Amino acid sequence: MTRETLISLINQVFVDKFELDPADLTPEKRIFEDLELDSLDVVDLITGLQHTFGIPLRDNKELLQIRTLANIYDLFEKLVQEHPELEEKLAKKP
Amino acid sequence: MRSILVYLSITLCIVLYLTVVGIPYLITLMLPAETCAHYMRILTLYMGKAVIYMALRPFARVEYTDSAAGEKAPGIYICNHRAATDAFLMAAFGIEAIQIVNGWPMKLPFFGFNARKCGYLDSTQTPLESYPQIVRKLLDKGVCIIAFPEGTRSGARQMNPFHSGIFKLAMDLKIPIYPCCIAGNERFPDRAFKFHKTERILVKRLPSIDPETYANMPSAFVLKKKVRSLIEEETSKMDAELAP
Repeated sequence: MTRETLISLINQVFVDKFELDPADLTPEKRIFEDLELDSLDVVDLITGLQHTFGIPLRDNKELLQIRTLANIYDLFEKLVQEHPELEEKLAKKP
Repeated sequence: MRSILVYLSITLCIVLYLTVVGIPYLITLMLPAETCAHYMRILTLYMGKAVIYMALRPFARVEYTDSAAGEKAPGIYICNHRAATDAFLMAAFGIEAIQIVNGWPMKLPFFGFNARKCGYLDSTQTPLESYPQIVRKLLDKGVCIIAFPEGTRSGARQMNPFHSGIFKLAMDLKIPIYPCCIAGNERFPDRAFKFHKTERILVKRLPSIDPETYANMPSAFVLKKKVRSLIEEETSKMDAELAP
Protein backbone atom coordinates (compact mmCIF):
# COMPACT_ATOMS: atom_id res chain seq x y z
CA MET A 1 0.00 0.00 0.00
CA THR A 2 1.36 3.40 -0.91
CA ARG A 3 1.67 6.15 1.66
CA GLU A 4 -0.79 8.19 -0.44
CA THR A 5 -3.46 5.50 -0.12
CA LEU A 6 -2.85 5.27 3.58
CA ILE A 7 -3.11 9.04 3.98
CA SER A 8 -6.29 9.08 1.98
CA LEU A 9 -7.85 6.36 4.19
CA ILE A 10 -6.86 8.17 7.39
CA ASN A 11 -8.05 11.53 6.12
CA GLN A 12 -11.37 9.96 5.19
CA VAL A 13 -11.83 9.00 8.86
CA PHE A 14 -11.36 12.68 9.80
CA VAL A 15 -13.84 13.74 7.14
CA ASP A 16 -16.44 11.12 8.13
CA LYS A 17 -16.15 11.53 11.88
CA PHE A 18 -15.49 15.25 12.21
CA GLU A 19 -16.70 16.68 8.89
CA LEU A 20 -13.38 18.47 8.46
CA ASP A 21 -12.48 20.02 5.15
CA PRO A 22 -10.06 17.65 3.36
CA ALA A 23 -8.01 20.71 2.33
CA ASP A 24 -7.26 21.33 6.02
CA LEU A 25 -5.80 17.87 6.49
CA THR A 26 -2.14 18.51 5.87
CA PRO A 27 0.60 16.47 7.59
CA GLU A 28 1.91 19.30 9.77
CA LYS A 29 -1.51 19.98 11.34
CA ARG A 30 -1.55 19.45 15.10
CA ILE A 31 -4.47 17.31 16.25
CA PHE A 32 -5.35 19.32 19.33
CA GLU A 33 -4.29 22.87 18.53
CA ASP A 34 -5.01 23.14 14.81
CA LEU A 35 -7.84 20.67 14.29
CA GLU A 36 -9.31 21.43 17.75
CA LEU A 37 -9.91 17.85 18.77
CA ASP A 38 -9.86 17.04 22.47
CA SER A 39 -9.33 13.81 24.36
CA LEU A 40 -12.94 12.70 23.88
CA ASP A 41 -12.74 13.38 20.15
CA VAL A 42 -9.60 11.24 20.05
CA VAL A 43 -11.69 8.33 21.35
CA ASP A 44 -14.00 8.82 18.33
CA LEU A 45 -10.95 9.07 16.09
CA ILE A 46 -9.53 5.81 17.41
CA THR A 47 -12.91 4.11 16.92
CA GLY A 48 -12.98 5.34 13.34
CA LEU A 49 -9.41 4.23 12.63
CA GLN A 50 -10.05 0.82 14.20
CA HIS A 51 -13.13 0.44 12.02
CA THR A 52 -11.27 1.41 8.85
CA PHE A 53 -8.11 -0.60 9.43
CA GLY A 54 -9.48 -3.45 11.55
CA ILE A 55 -6.57 -3.15 13.98
CA PRO A 56 -7.23 -3.02 17.73
CA LEU A 57 -5.73 0.29 18.90
CA ARG A 58 -7.01 0.60 22.44
CA ASP A 59 -3.78 -0.63 24.01
CA ASN A 60 -1.43 0.94 21.51
CA LYS A 61 1.00 3.03 23.58
CA GLU A 62 2.37 4.84 20.51
CA LEU A 63 -1.01 6.54 20.08
CA LEU A 64 -0.23 8.56 23.19
CA GLN A 65 2.73 10.17 21.40
CA ILE A 66 0.66 11.41 18.49
CA ARG A 67 0.63 15.17 18.05
CA THR A 68 0.26 15.79 14.31
CA LEU A 69 -1.42 14.16 11.35
CA ALA A 70 2.04 13.13 10.10
CA ASN A 71 2.51 11.16 13.35
CA ILE A 72 -0.69 9.23 12.58
CA TYR A 73 0.39 8.54 8.99
CA ASP A 74 3.78 7.26 10.26
CA LEU A 75 2.20 5.07 12.91
CA PHE A 76 -0.20 3.47 10.46
CA GLU A 77 2.52 2.97 7.89
CA LYS A 78 4.38 1.01 10.55
CA LEU A 79 1.25 -0.90 11.61
CA VAL A 80 0.47 -1.88 8.04
CA GLN A 81 4.02 -3.17 7.62
CA GLU A 82 3.62 -5.20 10.82
CA HIS A 83 0.26 -6.60 9.63
CA PRO A 84 0.78 -7.54 5.96
CA GLU A 85 -2.68 -9.15 5.83
CA LEU A 86 -4.15 -5.66 6.13
CA GLU A 87 -3.11 -4.72 2.62
CA GLU A 88 -5.35 -7.40 1.17
CA LYS A 89 -8.22 -6.55 3.53
CA LEU A 90 -8.03 -2.84 2.75
CA ALA A 91 -7.75 -3.47 -0.97
CA LYS A 92 -11.17 -5.17 -0.84
CA LYS A 93 -12.76 -2.06 0.73
CA PRO A 94 -14.79 0.07 -1.65
CA MET B 1 -11.53 52.89 42.01
CA ARG B 2 -14.23 51.46 39.72
CA SER B 3 -13.35 47.93 40.77
CA ILE B 4 -13.64 48.79 44.46
CA LEU B 5 -17.04 50.34 43.85
CA VAL B 6 -18.29 47.34 41.87
CA TYR B 7 -17.12 44.86 44.49
CA LEU B 8 -18.65 47.04 47.20
CA SER B 9 -21.93 47.25 45.31
CA ILE B 10 -22.08 43.47 44.80
CA THR B 11 -21.24 42.80 48.46
CA LEU B 12 -23.83 45.29 49.67
CA CYS B 13 -26.47 43.85 47.36
CA ILE B 14 -25.82 40.31 48.57
CA VAL B 15 -25.85 41.37 52.22
CA LEU B 16 -29.16 43.17 51.67
CA TYR B 17 -30.57 40.19 49.79
CA LEU B 18 -29.55 37.81 52.55
CA THR B 19 -31.07 40.13 55.12
CA VAL B 20 -34.38 39.96 53.28
CA VAL B 21 -34.31 36.20 52.65
CA GLY B 22 -32.27 35.35 55.74
CA ILE B 23 -34.89 33.24 57.48
CA PRO B 24 -35.95 31.21 54.37
CA TYR B 25 -32.23 30.82 53.56
CA LEU B 26 -31.45 29.36 56.97
CA ILE B 27 -34.52 27.11 56.89
CA THR B 28 -33.50 25.90 53.41
CA LEU B 29 -30.09 24.88 54.74
CA MET B 30 -31.78 22.60 57.27
CA LEU B 31 -33.85 20.72 54.66
CA PRO B 32 -32.86 17.32 53.20
CA ALA B 33 -30.11 17.69 50.57
CA GLU B 34 -32.27 17.47 47.42
CA THR B 35 -34.99 19.81 48.70
CA CYS B 36 -32.32 22.15 49.99
CA ALA B 37 -30.64 22.15 46.55
CA HIS B 38 -33.95 23.02 44.85
CA TYR B 39 -34.70 25.99 47.11
CA MET B 40 -31.06 27.11 47.09
CA ARG B 41 -31.19 27.22 43.28
CA ILE B 42 -34.27 29.44 43.45
CA LEU B 43 -32.66 31.70 46.07
CA THR B 44 -29.46 31.84 44.03
CA LEU B 45 -31.42 32.70 40.88
CA TYR B 46 -32.98 35.74 42.55
CA MET B 47 -29.67 36.67 44.17
CA GLY B 48 -28.15 36.62 40.68
CA LYS B 49 -30.98 38.81 39.38
CA ALA B 50 -30.42 41.26 42.23
CA VAL B 51 -26.70 41.41 41.41
CA ILE B 52 -27.06 41.94 37.66
CA TYR B 53 -30.07 44.26 37.69
CA MET B 54 -29.30 46.20 40.88
CA ALA B 55 -25.68 45.92 42.02
CA LEU B 56 -24.19 46.19 38.53
CA ARG B 57 -26.77 48.70 37.27
CA PRO B 58 -24.81 51.86 38.16
CA PHE B 59 -21.86 50.51 36.16
CA ALA B 60 -23.33 48.50 33.30
CA ARG B 61 -26.82 47.80 32.00
CA VAL B 62 -27.59 44.13 31.45
CA GLU B 63 -30.00 43.50 28.56
CA TYR B 64 -31.47 40.07 27.98
CA THR B 65 -33.00 38.89 24.71
CA ASP B 66 -34.74 35.55 24.38
CA SER B 67 -34.78 34.33 20.79
CA ALA B 68 -36.21 31.04 22.01
CA ALA B 69 -39.28 32.56 23.62
CA GLY B 70 -41.81 29.91 24.54
CA GLU B 71 -39.24 27.11 24.61
CA LYS B 72 -39.46 25.73 28.10
CA ALA B 73 -38.01 22.23 27.83
CA PRO B 74 -35.12 21.74 30.24
CA GLY B 75 -31.87 21.44 28.43
CA ILE B 76 -28.20 22.28 28.34
CA TYR B 77 -27.36 25.96 28.08
CA ILE B 78 -24.07 26.37 26.24
CA CYS B 79 -22.49 29.78 26.80
CA ASN B 80 -19.41 31.59 25.65
CA HIS B 81 -17.23 32.60 28.58
CA ARG B 82 -15.48 35.95 28.66
CA ALA B 83 -15.50 36.99 32.30
CA ALA B 84 -16.23 35.96 35.86
CA THR B 85 -19.51 37.91 35.83
CA ASP B 86 -20.92 35.25 33.46
CA ALA B 87 -21.84 33.18 36.51
CA PHE B 88 -24.17 35.99 37.69
CA LEU B 89 -25.44 36.76 34.18
CA MET B 90 -26.95 33.28 33.99
CA ALA B 91 -29.72 34.62 36.25
CA ALA B 92 -30.99 36.58 33.23
CA PHE B 93 -32.37 33.30 31.81
CA GLY B 94 -34.72 33.04 34.79
CA ILE B 95 -34.46 29.27 35.02
CA GLU B 96 -33.69 26.82 37.77
CA ALA B 97 -30.27 25.57 36.82
CA ILE B 98 -26.95 24.24 37.95
CA GLN B 99 -23.64 25.32 36.47
CA ILE B 100 -20.72 23.10 35.61
CA VAL B 101 -17.76 24.98 37.04
CA ASN B 102 -14.04 24.68 36.86
CA GLY B 103 -12.83 23.95 40.40
CA TRP B 104 -11.86 27.33 41.81
CA PRO B 105 -15.33 28.95 42.07
CA MET B 106 -16.33 26.08 44.37
CA LYS B 107 -13.59 27.14 46.77
CA LEU B 108 -14.72 30.76 47.05
CA PRO B 109 -16.09 31.83 50.42
CA PHE B 110 -19.90 32.06 50.40
CA PHE B 111 -20.25 31.60 46.60
CA GLY B 112 -18.53 28.21 46.78
CA PHE B 113 -20.72 27.18 49.69
CA ASN B 114 -23.83 28.31 47.80
CA ALA B 115 -22.69 26.50 44.64
CA ARG B 116 -22.18 23.25 46.54
CA LYS B 117 -25.59 23.54 48.19
CA CYS B 118 -27.19 24.18 44.78
CA GLY B 119 -25.61 21.00 43.44
CA TYR B 120 -23.28 22.71 40.96
CA LEU B 121 -20.88 20.26 39.35
CA ASP B 122 -17.14 20.74 39.80
CA SER B 123 -15.64 19.50 36.54
CA THR B 124 -12.31 18.84 38.27
CA GLN B 125 -13.87 16.58 40.90
CA THR B 126 -16.88 14.93 39.27
CA PRO B 127 -16.01 11.58 37.65
CA LEU B 128 -16.85 11.63 33.95
CA GLU B 129 -18.89 8.43 34.14
CA SER B 130 -21.22 9.89 36.78
CA TYR B 131 -22.42 12.80 34.61
CA PRO B 132 -25.14 10.96 32.65
CA GLN B 133 -26.93 9.83 35.80
CA ILE B 134 -26.62 13.19 37.59
CA VAL B 135 -27.69 15.20 34.54
CA ARG B 136 -30.61 12.91 33.69
CA LYS B 137 -31.89 13.17 37.25
CA LEU B 138 -31.66 16.97 37.22
CA LEU B 139 -33.38 17.31 33.85
CA ASP B 140 -36.19 15.03 34.98
CA LYS B 141 -36.79 17.49 37.81
CA GLY B 142 -36.86 20.37 35.34
CA VAL B 143 -33.41 21.67 36.30
CA CYS B 144 -31.31 22.96 33.41
CA ILE B 145 -27.57 22.56 33.02
CA ILE B 146 -25.36 25.53 32.23
CA ALA B 147 -21.95 24.83 30.73
CA PHE B 148 -19.07 26.93 29.48
CA PRO B 149 -17.31 24.53 27.10
CA GLU B 150 -14.36 26.87 26.61
CA GLY B 151 -13.37 25.70 30.09
CA THR B 152 -11.97 29.04 31.14
CA ARG B 153 -12.61 32.77 30.68
CA SER B 154 -11.29 34.16 27.42
CA GLY B 155 -11.01 37.73 28.77
CA ALA B 156 -11.48 38.95 25.22
CA ARG B 157 -13.97 39.01 22.40
CA GLN B 158 -12.59 35.90 20.75
CA MET B 159 -13.78 32.49 21.81
CA ASN B 160 -11.48 29.67 22.84
CA PRO B 161 -11.98 26.20 21.36
CA PHE B 162 -14.78 24.17 22.91
CA HIS B 163 -14.34 20.89 24.77
CA SER B 164 -16.53 18.05 23.49
CA GLY B 165 -17.60 16.47 26.80
CA ILE B 166 -20.89 18.32 27.29
CA PHE B 167 -21.87 17.72 23.65
CA LYS B 168 -21.18 14.00 23.97
CA LEU B 169 -23.38 13.98 27.06
CA ALA B 170 -26.16 15.83 25.20
CA MET B 171 -25.97 13.33 22.34
CA ASP B 172 -25.96 10.30 24.64
CA LEU B 173 -28.94 11.57 26.65
CA LYS B 174 -30.73 13.26 23.71
CA ILE B 175 -31.04 16.63 25.41
CA PRO B 176 -31.99 19.93 23.75
CA ILE B 177 -29.15 22.43 23.57
CA TYR B 178 -29.67 26.17 23.97
CA PRO B 179 -26.76 28.15 22.52
CA CYS B 180 -26.34 31.32 24.59
CA CYS B 181 -24.33 34.43 23.91
CA ILE B 182 -22.81 37.01 26.20
CA ALA B 183 -21.15 40.17 24.93
CA GLY B 184 -19.85 43.36 26.46
CA ASN B 185 -18.38 41.98 29.68
CA GLU B 186 -14.98 40.87 28.36
CA ARG B 187 -13.32 43.41 30.66
CA PHE B 188 -15.98 43.40 33.34
CA PRO B 189 -13.93 42.11 35.06
CA ASP B 190 -10.77 41.26 33.10
CA ARG B 191 -8.77 38.14 33.86
CA ALA B 192 -7.08 39.97 36.75
CA PHE B 193 -10.54 40.66 38.24
CA LYS B 194 -10.33 44.40 37.55
CA PHE B 195 -13.55 46.06 36.37
CA HIS B 196 -13.25 48.41 33.38
CA LYS B 197 -15.71 50.91 31.99
CA THR B 198 -18.59 49.02 30.36
CA GLU B 199 -21.93 50.49 29.41
CA ARG B 200 -23.97 47.54 28.26
CA ILE B 201 -23.78 43.80 28.62
CA LEU B 202 -25.90 41.74 26.27
CA VAL B 203 -27.15 38.25 27.05
CA LYS B 204 -29.06 36.25 24.48
CA ARG B 205 -30.62 32.79 24.36
CA LEU B 206 -30.81 31.36 20.85
CA PRO B 207 -33.41 28.83 19.67
CA SER B 208 -32.74 25.33 20.88
CA ILE B 209 -31.08 22.61 18.87
CA ASP B 210 -33.27 19.55 19.30
CA PRO B 211 -31.89 16.02 19.59
CA GLU B 212 -33.66 15.19 16.29
CA THR B 213 -31.58 17.88 14.60
CA TYR B 214 -28.26 16.49 15.73
CA ALA B 215 -29.19 12.79 15.84
CA ASN B 216 -27.44 12.12 12.53
CA MET B 217 -24.26 13.99 13.33
CA PRO B 218 -21.32 11.59 13.28
CA SER B 219 -19.70 12.84 16.49
CA ALA B 220 -19.86 15.28 19.40
CA PHE B 221 -17.10 17.21 17.62
CA VAL B 222 -19.47 18.11 14.77
CA LEU B 223 -22.16 19.22 17.22
CA LYS B 224 -19.72 21.36 19.21
CA LYS B 225 -18.47 23.00 16.01
CA LYS B 226 -22.03 23.82 14.98
CA VAL B 227 -22.94 25.28 18.38
CA ARG B 228 -19.68 27.20 18.56
CA SER B 229 -20.18 28.70 15.13
CA LEU B 230 -23.77 29.75 16.01
CA ILE B 231 -22.53 31.47 19.17
CA GLU B 232 -19.56 33.03 17.39
CA GLU B 233 -21.76 34.42 14.63
CA GLU B 234 -24.25 35.90 17.09
CA THR B 235 -21.65 37.34 19.51
CA SER B 236 -19.95 39.06 16.55
CA LYS B 237 -23.25 40.81 15.78
CA MET B 238 -23.69 41.69 19.45
CA ASP B 239 -20.13 43.06 19.65
CA ALA B 240 -20.78 45.17 16.58
CA GLU B 241 -23.93 46.51 18.22
CA LEU B 242 -21.96 47.42 21.35
CA ALA B 243 -18.96 49.10 19.80
CA PRO B 244 -18.45 50.54 16.36
